[in-house]
Amino acid sequence: MKKIAVAIAVALAAGSAYAQEKTLKIAGFGAKSGVVRSFGINSEAALTAAADVINKQGGVKLADGSSAKLVVEFYDDRCSAEEGISVIRRIYGTDAVVAVGPTCSNVAEPLFGILQKKVEDKGDSGLQMPVFTDVAIKVGLARISEWAFRNVPNEMTMYSSLFYWLKTRYPNTQNVYGGVEEDFAHSRASWYAVMKDRAEANGYKVVGNSKWLVNDSNFATQVREMKNANADIVAISAHPFTTCGVLKEMQRQGVKPKVLVGLTSSSSLETLQGCAKQAEGMIIPTSFAPVTKEGKAAAETTARFKGAADLHSMAAWENMFILKQVMESEKISGDKNQLPADRRKIRDGLAKLKQTQGLLGVTKRTEDREADKPYLFVQAKGGNWVVLHNPL
Amino acid sequence: MLDFLQTLSDGVLFGATYALIGIGFTLVFGVMHKINMAYAAASIGGAYAGLLVLKALATAPAWMVFLGAFLAGGVLGWVVYAACFHFIPLSSPLAPLMSTVGMLLLIDEVIVHLTAGMPQNYPAMFDDVMLRAGAFTLRGDLLLVFGVSLLCMIGLLALLYRTRLGLATRAVSQQAVAAQLCGIRVARVNALTFVITGLLGGVAGAMIGASVGTLSPLITMPLTVKGLIVTVIGGLGSIPGAIIAGLLVGGLENVFQLYRGVTERDLYVMLLLFAFLVFRPGGLFSRT
Repeated sequence: MKKIAVAIAVALAAGSAYAQEKTLKIAGFGAKSGVVRSFGINSEAALTAAADVINKQGGVKLADGSSAKLVVEFYDDRCSAEEGISVIRRIYGTDAVVAVGPTCSNVAEPLFGILQKKVEDKGDSGLQMPVFTDVAIKVGLARISEWAFRNVPNEMTMYSSLFYWLKTRYPNTQNVYGGVEEDFAHSRASWYAVMKDRAEANGYKVVGNSKWLVNDSNFATQVREMKNANADIVAISAHPFTTCGVLKEMQRQGVKPKVLVGLTSSSSLETLQGCAKQAEGMIIPTSFAPVTKEGKAAAETTARFKGAADLHSMAAWENMFILKQVMESEKISGDKNQLPADRRKIRDGLAKLKQTQGLLGVTKRTEDREADKPYLFVQAKGGNWVVLHNPL
Repeated sequence: MLDFLQTLSDGVLFGATYALIGIGFTLVFGVMHKINMAYAAASIGGAYAGLLVLKALATAPAWMVFLGAFLAGGVLGWVVYAACFHFIPLSSPLAPLMSTVGMLLLIDEVIVHLTAGMPQNYPAMFDDVMLRAGAFTLRGDLLLVFGVSLLCMIGLLALLYRTRLGLATRAVSQQAVAAQLCGIRVARVNALTFVITGLLGGVAGAMIGASVGTLSPLITMPLTVKGLIVTVIGGLGSIPGAIIAGLLVGGLENVFQLYRGVTERDLYVMLLLFAFLVFRPGGLFSRT
């Protein structure tokens, strides 16, 4: 009887200690429904996997010397601006110390707009919530608010490097023809502001471009225009569904450029699932491939949480480790009553960062809270993305 | 001129898929005087279900996938009928409309959840065949789509005008109460109409998948809109109207795109719809 009483007492004590274990909530958000659902699934898996690794290593050290475990709560914004704004307001009302997301640039842009613009502006009633973006990639969004930070690849740098490399690797290529998903913010910006501009800057003549819409299904006219242009390089700035539709139409019409370039976001499983055969040879600059020991481990751990490792989900993984480092260096309290102060400390800590450690190497942080991530060029080969060139 | 002809012919051939979708809308409207907004989604759902054949047998030929889509389309047609019409008070015109909109979103979301929204490679037949007359070309796979669509339309017309079921269907479409008084089981005819349009939708979905080469839930909404436009332009309830309007919309859409660009293309298609609504509200083949 005495033994049972002791056992119960020990169990209760253990339970009580468990109940008192400190936690820090990280709010992830992104598209977990709709056609970009896979991005949200992968981000959530990567965030949870990274949190699991951090927790197993002892969690995050708080200002008072104790440790807290990371808890990830993921919210679905459906890749809709209205939903995204509603989600960030909900997150703001919880005890989450920081938010990681969103998936879509058309959500990030208005969402950053409701954050406080400048941290010291007392007259600005915008949300004071640090947001550390993993996926939304449209150029230059973090400058909208001092609470916005991004760990997304710099497309300007990557495509500049890619066209420079193509010029040296394929010296007989002279001109570029573009294909652009005209009604999708990221695709559009990537063609007009990045690919086209960088191709010209590297001595290529841009001989035209074909346009289509994100939910188009007939690309015959656009590909005929492409065929008539007979360019050496075709650069497609579109997401996997229309990229595949266009590639299949190119195959039918016998359009075979010397080099095929794709959009950063297309270096994912989706493109290979939709049209591996037609994408064969396509070159894409990306900020992730499982080429380092850390990268392989991150990909394997994320897979155990039912997510795929790509440039976006692995940015989410990196964000968790960066946040751990910032929370520890800024000595956050983890006390729910100190939530605004902790959020501010995380913001300030992120703003101070000059560089971070990523899965491919060191990422430089810029003054406007963006990342200058290491990258490499991958090529579709035999149904896989294989590393073609590492320019760094 | 060659560009124009090529664009027009590509559009007309692709328009066969719009015609198939339009027929589904128009047949249900003709029989029940209700719009089934879930039709295009169920058609694409059928096409997705056809891919299960490839899961079971990786080396299955394309025609087996199409057959799977055909059968799955029929099952989905019945499901849509049971869920959105059979137990819903049809006296309120808004009830089935809203229930089918709900079903559209449900089917879409189920597809998205099962595939994580990833585009799926879809098999095609004759996709490597290109008929050439100088610079003018005709895609083999689109000709197949056109041919299959024509066969479906002929089969449907034969069913409607050469069988007892067709007679019953036409009787219900003209005067449901009188048909019931003659001993026709209206609910059964309605259910069978949905199964038949579902089978047709399965073929339409498979043909769309085959002609694009990829399936994505992204295309259900534009197809729904195209199907409705085709139904209105063709004349509500008119099968020949849906066929002609489908080909017309497909062809004109491509021509608008050639001359005015992709961003203005749909604007002109909508203007065409408004022109019909204003000047010929009964459509090309008005039954009145």
